[in-house]
Amino acid sequence: MDPGRVSHPMSSPSPCSKAETDEEIAFRRATEPWPEDATLYQQLKGEQILLSDNASSLAVQAFLQMCELPIKVVCRANAEYMSPSGKVPFIHVGNQVVSELGPIVQFVKAKGHSLSDGLDEVQKAEMKAYMELVNNMLLTAELYLQWCDEATVGEITHSRYGFPYPWPLNHILAYQKQWEVKRKMKAIGWGNKTLDQVLEDVDQCCQALSQRLGTQPYFFNKQPTELDALVFGHLFTILTTQLTSDELSDKEPGEKRKTTYFVLGSEWLHL
Amino acid sequence: MADKSFVGGIREPRQGLVRVIRRGRSGWGGGRVALERSEVSPKLAPHFGFRLSEAERRGGGHFRGTRGRGGGKMAAPLELRCWGGGWGLPSVHSESLVVLAYAKFSGAPLKVSVIDNTWRGSRGDVPILTSEDNIVSQPAKILNFLRKQKYNADYQLSAKQGADTLAYIALLEEKLLPAVLHTFWIENDNYFTVTKPWFASRIPFPLSLILPGRMSKRALNRILLTKGEPPHYHLKEVEAQIYRDAKECLNLLSNRLGTSQFFFGNTPTTLDAYVFGFVAPLYKVHFPKVQLQEHVKQLSNLCRFCDDILSCYFRISLAGFSPAGQDTVDANLQKLTQLVNKESNLIEKMDDNLRQSPQLPPRKLPTLKLTTADEESNSFQPLSP
Repeated sequence: MDPGRVSHPMSSPSPCSKAETDEEIAFRRATEPWPEDATLYQQLKGEQILLSDNASSLAVQAFLQMCELPIKVVCRANAEYMSPSGKVPFIHVGNQVVSELGPIVQFVKAKGHSLSDGLDEVQKAEMKAYMELVNNMLLTAELYLQWCDEATVGEITHSRYGFPYPWPLNHILAYQKQWEVKRKMKAIGWGNKTLDQVLEDVDQCCQALSQRLGTQPYFFNKQPTELDALVFGHLFTILTTQLTSDELSDKEPGEKRKTTYFVLGSEWLHL
Repeated sequence: MADKSFVGGIREPRQGLVRVIRRGRSGWGGGRVALERSEVSPKLAPHFGFRLSEAERRGGGHFRGTRGRGGGKMAAPLELRCWGGGWGLPSVHSESLVVLAYAKFSGAPLKVSVIDNTWRGSRGDVPILTSEDNIVSQPAKILNFLRKQKYNADYQLSAKQGADTLAYIALLEEKLLPAVLHTFWIENDNYFTVTKPWFASRIPFPLSLILPGRMSKRALNRILLTKGEPPHYHLKEVEAQIYRDAKECLNLLSNRLGTSQFFFGNTPTTLDAYVFGFVAPLYKVHFPKVQLQEHVKQLSNLCRFCDDILSCYFRISLAGFSPAGQDTVDANLQKLTQLVNKESNLIEKMDDNLRQSPQLPPRKLPTLKLTTADEESNSFQPLSP
């Protein structure tokens, strides 16, 4: 298991999730307690942050809230460049810096807090599969919408992305990022997709999540897991962000279950 | 007992026949499959099919689906262009294999044209399905197209299982596909000794110098762009990461499969097609550098899964049957299968009797031989005492 893109001061082997006894968990919590001044860095909330980054950031915040770990959110204009992997959000805990939800979950687990310990192997596999589905479909669709759809790009993305920089840097950086994202889309086969096809994929993904959720409050058992945090982050962002076309948010409502879920999720963040 | 089908001496899974009740049946009004309301939400339904009503299940069609029978919208001939096979597989290319497997599971009559080193046909973006004037190119789109043509392997799935299918396919593409691509196209030993010669031998001369290189570059690009972000600046670190992910993914699949025959019960579905398409080349193709293959071989249920699908669904195409001449063959085959099934049931009963009362055999055997002689089953071997 990847111990996160960070160098641990104590290079512990990846924690085996199977037979974690309570004493071991308590031991880990005692030796590496979660500090009070842990911070989460993201871009400027009002003017700079984009749809996909906002979704990821909310997901991490929700996850940490679910684990009952205190975290302070700090907005910096150059958060993307501060991050060890180039992606926001990242957290700064003690003397370690970890970015992205996956490694953060593992890092938090190494500290003895975990939301998915109660799941059996098959459920864990399902959870991982659904997280990949969300990353694959929802996140990629968000990226597509904000970087490959000309209308959105022109009106919103370019101006937001280049907000903290002076001319001509703002244009250059925005174009560079757009070129990178377009390259990635082409490599994974999304380059030729039209907006309608992308929205259809989003629809399919949401249907799948909705079916999986059913009438339960959370995806697994009665406790929230990292999957819930991830889905919440994306849903909340999509539903509450104003874009030029409202098509993305139109796909969501009408699913009563997801709306109740989303309400539950906002309670977590005290929004 | 008419639902068992015995094709070419290999027993098919029990529900094999159920799946192929399909279009073109004049009794059912123009080839449309009667739909039952299910709890599947209407939007998800087109993707994952619906449940057939009981009456249709009992209809008892042929293995290959009915073609040209009565009215109903007959599909234009579907032609699939894909890379050929080797090492016991119908195709060495993962995506082509996914489409071939799905077509077999859903009973779609595909005319497969394999890319060879003549200049006929297109070569880029394979597999490609052409039907009348539609050209569909990626596996996901091809499968959607087949489903719309009512060749659906998922109609027995519940909505939740349909959702699980999507999730597991995403997992496969995210975690296993990079490693498969790497094993085939980027690992130098493998690429230069196995992959490149194989593909080059199937592409006409000047292109054979260019095309494999291009495919390799595309694979490398895909891996680096999706996985090779900082701090993994070097390809070696990316490699370590993707192989770790792939092994974890294989373990997850193995846990999920458990001891059942297919992922969702006893009939193969889209997920089975995808898993087969990705895992079988890893398992069967002989590479010099084999770390992932070793891992697959340790997961015995995945190996058994691939072998089962190969022996059940792909033995015929290897024997060279073309889908066109199947009708009469089907009728004979069905008679044959019924006879042989009766025989095998008798054999099993004999076996049990034999074990319980050893003095019986001399009396029973002559009866056995008599019935064998009456029937026409020549592929059947009499049981030796």
